[in-house]
Amino acid sequence: MPKKINLDIASVEQREQRLGTIIAWDGTTEELHRASSYEERGKRERGSGCGGNCRLCELSGPFTQGSVCSEQMVECQAGNVRDAVLIQHAPIGCGGGQVEYNSIYRNGLAMRGYKVENIRIINTNLQESDMVFGAADKLRQSIDDAFGRFQPQAIFVASSCATGIIGEDIESVADEKEAELGVPVIPLSCEGFRSKHWSTGFDATQHGILRQIVRKAPRKKQEDLVNVINLWGSDVFTPLLKNLNLRVNYVVDLASVEELAQMSEAAATVGFCYTLSSYLAAALEQHFGVPEVKAPMPYGFEGTDAWLRELAKVTHREHLVEDFIRREHERVKPRIAELKEKLRGVKGFVATGSAYAHGLVQVLRELDVTVDGSLTFHHDPVYDSGDSREDSLGHLNEHYGQVKNFHVSNRQQYQLYAFLQENKPDFLLIRHNGLAPLASRLGIPAAPLGDEHIAVGYDGMINLGETILEIMAHKKFHDDIRRHVKLPYKKWWLEQKDAYILARQPELAAFDAEEYRKERKEAAHA
Amino acid sequence: MPKLKQNKNGQTNSINQVRYGCALGALHSVVAIPGAMPITHCGPGCVDKQYMSLAFYNGFQGGGYAGGAVTPSSNLQEKDVVFGGAKHLDQLIAASLKIMEADLFVVLNGCIPEIVGDDIGAVVARYQAQGVPIVSAETGGFKGNNFTGHEIVTEAIIEQYVDKYARNKDQKQKGLINVWSELPFQNTFWRGDLTELKRILEGAGWQVNILFGYGSKGVQEWLTIPRAEFNLVVGPWLGLRTAKLLEKKYGQPYLHLPVLPIGAKQAAEFLRAIAAFAKENEVQTEKFIKEEEKEYYYYMEYFTDFYAEYWWGLPASYAVVGDAAYNLALNKFLVNQLGLIPALQIITDCTPEKYREAIGEQYKHLAEDVSAEVEFAEDGYIVGKLLREGQYGHKPPIIFGTTWERDIAKELKGHIVEVSYPVSYDVVLNKTYIGYRGALTLLETIFTTAISKSA
Repeated sequence: MPKKINLDIASVEQREQRLGTIIAWDGTTEELHRASSYEERGKRERGSGCGGNCRLCELSGPFTQGSVCSEQMVECQAGNVRDAVLIQHAPIGCGGGQVEYNSIYRNGLAMRGYKVENIRIINTNLQESDMVFGAADKLRQSIDDAFGRFQPQAIFVASSCATGIIGEDIESVADEKEAELGVPVIPLSCEGFRSKHWSTGFDATQHGILRQIVRKAPRKKQEDLVNVINLWGSDVFTPLLKNLNLRVNYVVDLASVEELAQMSEAAATVGFCYTLSSYLAAALEQHFGVPEVKAPMPYGFEGTDAWLRELAKVTHREHLVEDFIRREHERVKPRIAELKEKLRGVKGFVATGSAYAHGLVQVLRELDVTVDGSLTFHHDPVYDSGDSREDSLGHLNEHYGQVKNFHVSNRQQYQLYAFLQENKPDFLLIRHNGLAPLASRLGIPAAPLGDEHIAVGYDGMINLGETILEIMAHKKFHDDIRRHVKLPYKKWWLEQKDAYILARQPELAAFDAEEYRKERKEAAHA
Repeated sequence: MPKLKQNKNGQTNSINQVRYGCALGALHSVVAIPGAMPITHCGPGCVDKQYMSLAFYNGFQGGGYAGGAVTPSSNLQEKDVVFGGAKHLDQLIAASLKIMEADLFVVLNGCIPEIVGDDIGAVVARYQAQGVPIVSAETGGFKGNNFTGHEIVTEAIIEQYVDKYARNKDQKQKGLINVWSELPFQNTFWRGDLTELKRILEGAGWQVNILFGYGSKGVQEWLTIPRAEFNLVVGPWLGLRTAKLLEKKYGQPYLHLPVLPIGAKQAAEFLRAIAAFAKENEVQTEKFIKEEEKEYYYYMEYFTDFYAEYWWGLPASYAVVGDAAYNLALNKFLVNQLGLIPALQIITDCTPEKYREAIGEQYKHLAEDVSAEVEFAEDGYIVGKLLREGQYGHKPPIIFGTTWERDIAKELKGHIVEVSYPVSYDVVLNKTYIGYRGALTLLETIFTTAISKSA
């Protein structure tokens, strides 16, 4: 029996402790799958040691470029709840996220047909003296400001590296304020340094929602309501689920606090990506009795068919599903055949979050696009439910074949150079920022999937195919740029075939004053 | 609970709708110097946050050669917090020197090393001793905003790099000036603006160390800083600290002109003030002003038809919400060139207290017959409240502000021109709103916005 998610403590357990998450790895997807030992890990109590064959080695080197932190994921989830406020108990720099997530929030609201308005995030603006004396009163003040200004239904409080180190007792202040104000005041433990991977930030938000918002005694069971764990993507699930007479409850982004509270009343929980949905879905099942749909993710025919069948089974709608699947296959197949024709001989490279990448590779292979290489920002050897039906990497290998050059690389642009040389793709699929700018300078266009639902389901195959054709047309721009820019990487690095060479041979990066002087001299002459 | 200090606008410690980055955000000042590269010693999300807010969703300026996801970062973890991160930084610097190509590296720290006490200066000193062009700047995020960080970075480069490698520091070069003005990346239009600033200064006969952006010769140019005849600080306050340092260090006088010039009147006043200060280039200055005015008023004459008799209503009053430099510059132009009515001015860059009174004086004399009050506020909620309470006459105002003001502009049925960080609804390459050419572009933007409303 896998270990149950612990909702008794205020801080979420880090992803690496729960799941054994890694952020650097190199090999084939079959090797990674073997090393991950999904099934074995799923059965045993997690965090209880490795026992021989489920060790997953990580490649850690001396060089890194700026990555992403857990608090950012809190901003993009808790900050996007429509009638809540997020407080960042942090120095002003953490507030930079307000700008990015405001843009995302505004675009998300527009995409879903809500009134467009500014995001409500408040930074407590900590100063040098606060690092010495603490800043509980500033937190209290900001909570009062949040409540007085916006009349929110819930107030989230995110920690930061600074408040984590100086030991701010956010939990006590939150308890005190919750009692005083009568709305949930929810501490979220998301210090950037605390977890090696930012996806812990998703879990931190979900943990807080599960503890303090989800209704513990459901008023009624809503047998046609399905929790869909997503971000701000366009509404593709409503039409899809309507065919099974099911209604959608989108969480966490763009949901209201009431929509979060009613999660415990739903008939089932689904997601579009296990990286995002793993924690919340498993906890809803374990603590609130809402079954998680345990199936491959809804990408490609194989994945979507299996996902729909499992959803129908869990919600007792088996009688509706086969006919729907048949009709959908008939509907989309002619267009997919046309797209295949146009995409013949095209090579793609996926560079996104972990489980999402597995799904995207499936869709590309449905479209006959060649995928020899991919990267994910991290890898979870198992998801929280421990159920093998969610083994997204295994599903990819089994139904669509392995990816031979598979890299786990946490948004490290310098490594992408070698990956692209190795695979020579015609385009990239990306989601997080930072990688496409390098690809562009090498003449390779990238499709930024800002709408995360673009590749979901049967229409997802068509959408993605069309998107690829559009961005391949941009190639003229990227080729032109390629001829006119200089990369910031030295020749020595650009000649390396192995992107992990510094992890394998860290001595190569040791400073050699003589060599450096020589190099500078040559550069001065050139 | 003890009452925390609030100012007269009711501002508490809370900052909703940020209007500046943190001290570490000044890594963008390094990115702005051609040939320089930041190395950051901070948490895993710090660089991304500063980049995405200052350089991406702010005019979509981009990271260029050394910014964005290029910037090396130690991405500090729990073990660095517990055991200290100095060794981690040491490894990162060595590896950066092996992998990254740059003429100058600037190591900046964030909050974590500042709190746990990593001595980044000591780590960097070992590389300096071996002839590596590298400096360290202590920019812990809670030390202040990116304006503060900018001067910390500038000083670090001058003290630890320029001073060491510059040649003939005592031989002043006649006509050479160092310009300290807008904050790169924070000011969305800094690239175009600095180019225009350099153009008009050169036109008036000066040789210009513009120091940041395309018009700068980069790290090599920084090495000529000590040889300049004087320093020119353009703007209400940023750069004064650096100018004072250089005065002390290299005996260079400085000229402080608080108004970033927009339009022919301001530009002429600006150029004449410099010539008068140095008692140099007077003839060339007059010649250049004459030429520029000829071109400027050629376009203005044609513009006159629109401004004099457009039927469907143009805004009469305005509000400006933004950094001190652009705020004052816009006010000067809008009042003196267009005759618009100043309704509300809010400076949002956390201007140090000691400069505020002098800035207030500037607003009292926008023109001989026009005076205005200026507010200092940083929290978006307070800004919104002030805008809502503003008196704009019988027509809605035009708001010069940030993306944050879009909602309030709608609420007031007014117009919005985004001129200050964050500018998330404008794509900016080399656009300038200053000088002679920028003023014309600004007119296009203002009135395109105003008349597009009916479309």
